[in-house]
Amino acid sequence: MAFVLRNISYSADGRQIVRSSRINDDLLKIGRDPDCDIRLNDLAVALHHATIEQVSSQVLGISAESGTTIEIDGTSTQGGQIDLTTGGTIRIGPFRLRVSAQEMGSDDVAIDVERADLEEEEERFDPRRFALSSVMPGKRPIAWVSVIAILLLFLVWPIWSFHSQPRGERAAYSASFHADQTWSPGALSRPHQALEHNCTACHEQAFVSVRDSSCRACHTNVHDHADPARLAAARPNLGAFARFRRAVAETFGQEAGRCVDCHMEHLGPLEMAPTPQKFCADCHGDLRARLPDTRLGSATDFRGQHPEFQPAVLVNWNGDQPQMRRISLTDRPREQSNLKFPHALHLQPTGGVAQMARTLRATYGFGNQLECSDCHVPTIDGVRFQPIDMRGDCAMCHSLAFDRIDGTVRTLRHGDPRQVIADIRAWYRAGGPQRPPEFDAGPRSRPGDVTQIRAAIQYARAEAGLGGRAAQAIRAVFSEGGACYDCHQVVQPPAGTLDYSIQPVAFPQRYMLHGWFDHRAHQVVQRPGGPRLTGTQACLSCHTANASSDSSDLMIPNLESCQACHGGEGSNAPVQSGCAMCHDYHIDEGTPAMLLRRQVRGHRWQTTIRIEPQSQPTAAPAR
Amino acid sequence: MASRGIDRADFGEGAAHESFLQYRRYRWFKISALLCLFFIVVYALVDITPRPNGGSWEGYILGTIGAALIVWLAMLGIRKRAMTRGRWSLKAWTSAHVYLGLSLIVIATLHTGFQFGWNVHTLAYALMMLVILSGVYGIFVYGMLPQGLSDSRAEMTGPQMIDAINQLDKQIQQAAQPLSDADSAVVLGSLGEDPFGGGVMRRLSGRYPRCGNREALRTMRGRLAESSGKEAAAIEKIVQLLERKAAALQRVRGYVQRRALLEIWLYIHVPMTFACIAALIAHIVSVFFYW
Repeated sequence: MAFVLRNISYSADGRQIVRSSRINDDLLKIGRDPDCDIRLNDLAVALHHATIEQVSSQVLGISAESGTTIEIDGTSTQGGQIDLTTGGTIRIGPFRLRVSAQEMGSDDVAIDVERADLEEEEERFDPRRFALSSVMPGKRPIAWVSVIAILLLFLVWPIWSFHSQPRGERAAYSASFHADQTWSPGALSRPHQALEHNCTACHEQAFVSVRDSSCRACHTNVHDHADPARLAAARPNLGAFARFRRAVAETFGQEAGRCVDCHMEHLGPLEMAPTPQKFCADCHGDLRARLPDTRLGSATDFRGQHPEFQPAVLVNWNGDQPQMRRISLTDRPREQSNLKFPHALHLQPTGGVAQMARTLRATYGFGNQLECSDCHVPTIDGVRFQPIDMRGDCAMCHSLAFDRIDGTVRTLRHGDPRQVIADIRAWYRAGGPQRPPEFDAGPRSRPGDVTQIRAAIQYARAEAGLGGRAAQAIRAVFSEGGACYDCHQVVQPPAGTLDYSIQPVAFPQRYMLHGWFDHRAHQVVQRPGGPRLTGTQACLSCHTANASSDSSDLMIPNLESCQACHGGEGSNAPVQSGCAMCHDYHIDEGTPAMLLRRQVRGHRWQTTIRIEPQSQPTAAPAR
Repeated sequence: MASRGIDRADFGEGAAHESFLQYRRYRWFKISALLCLFFIVVYALVDITPRPNGGSWEGYILGTIGAALIVWLAMLGIRKRAMTRGRWSLKAWTSAHVYLGLSLIVIATLHTGFQFGWNVHTLAYALMMLVILSGVYGIFVYGMLPQGLSDSRAEMTGPQMIDAINQLDKQIQQAAQPLSDADSAVVLGSLGEDPFGGGVMRRLSGRYPRCGNREALRTMRGRLAESSGKEAAAIEKIVQLLERKAAALQRVRGYVQRRALLEIWLYIHVPMTFACIAALIAHIVSVFFYW
């Protein structure tokens, strides 16, 4: 029994050097120690690392010393065996001990000893490791991963989200996250913030710019400023650059005149700025030049250039139907309301009207004379006035009473001439002379009773005369000096009848259909250089009612009257008034959006005179 | 020396050589500066209501120019593979790349209208800025570091530096043979120390707190104090060798650190260019998708 050791090493040029030795023993000590049979010159090997021993003729036993480990055929262990018919490999530190399969008929065990870490060493000291690339993932993988991640997160996911998210009114205000939100370039305007999570509320179709229909889904009460074709024609001629921009926009499917052209979004939580005067003046400054058939006058600035007011005036009647026409105040229109009412008479500080006011002061709270507010009642919002109502506004003085029964006053029914005629007739019939008591003296009348005959004759005479007196009364009521005639246009009855009728009465509720005027904001008026006026004096400062004796006088103040206080943007007027103060781009009814916005945002017009309750009564006479 | 990269003269006032930064008396610097000035003036003069933004006509013009510039700048990756001379030489191209790339800071920022948010648009902007700033860093380190790089190597090549460590390892191996198992385990810590061990951060910082060689040196110095005789002589020799290895390691690692600092920017500049282009595609598609 002997071990044949073959120590294999390599020269610098890669030549194999083999040194063989033979040990006639059946036990081999392996270690770093010079006394060992197999000396392994490496610090990773213990001084005495392991022992190889022949267990039987076919089996070699290997055992590691305590505290060390060896590897047999790739398995880390403390000890093991190698079948000599097949051979095996032992690994100790960086060394490989290859036990060859025993040749037939030989007792020798051949073991090749070789350093196995040379390749690893080479790898460890590869000069390429100086470069950063040895520890970094390649630039290409980084680029690919980034590109794919970005495209998935910011392109594929949002597009999927666009197609998969629920649509409709209910979904529009949902607060759940949708991936297409990552496309939002900025916060929406304040009023639209609730739509922040729902891009599809406005962006309905892919690659189609936001349409007005999206806006109209919610904004149902606004209308186009004008017919789109006329609007387009009215635009001032664009410069070359603007035309180019327009052409580019249209090439990309953005038609002119969309809501979003002006109402831009995603620009942060901005408030809508007041519409500048120039925005209107651009088109309306010389509208006729581009729209020759327009009925609108040119306007650039309220003081600088603005047409005279053209109120809608009741100019005529077509039967019961009032006919309205817009007439410029320069043409001094007359109003055919069919009511006779001398304003001046009613506002006189002395005379019969004032006297009556004083008489009825206790009942109706009048002052020393009539005030405007005694008859004209504001609407609830204070903007306009309620229609004049005979019973509420006139009847305090203009009584239609004709009888009193047990303290209850009977009045003629206002507004119904036929009823008036019937009531007068009935009064004369029922309330005429009383039936003589002689008629009911006894059960039977005696023939030849002179008294009775006289009474019968007188009664018959009185009865016969009643019809004539009723007709007379009816005529009187409908004729000059009569209750109806004083205020109304009476239509004379057909010949031989008493069918009087009254011309209908009407007043426009709103004279300026496209302009806004708020009476409440003008309760206190102070014209430049003038005193501070309230109550009737404030009214009269614009409406010259105290100089009007004919109800056909139209007392709408003219442009000049307003211009005393109101001027265009940048003017030195007490109240700078851009177009948007009185005119709204989209709506004709109600307060212009610009005023509403100012109110909502807590701004007041700096030039509006603040109404102080305690200082208000100074100019108004005590009641 | 060929391996020195850009010669120092490139960045100084060297008359003979004209660097890509100085190309034709800073031609591209002047062009880019004028371009920036022009757009700043336009931005200041044009009143975009209610506020400047990428969706205005001005924003679209700036955005289109910016996108075109980004694509062209990225083309350097292809262009650089062919070195040519003349008016459209690689040097001219690189000079334009640097200065037009810098002008993109102005163009893209004006394009945003200073509207930023957590969205794909700002992502594209941020990635672009990352690419530009990494480029600026790249120019800076290319100007400053190569000198330090060669200084740090003490006129040695990379393989020479490694070989020095290899030789020391062999000597340590030899010298440690008489040591006890316990001591040799300590010395093994030095032999097992990978000069290039550690990841990117370690390379960039140049700090190796758990260095096996340092640990072995510290322990063996301690052992030296308490040993005597033959063993002391062996340990003393080991300590000397470990000290020399420490210096050799320091040299390698210093060089590795400089290389890392020099090369790291490309790992941002190049992949982030593609990331930026991807974000740019998402940005442009999203704008037209939600037109």
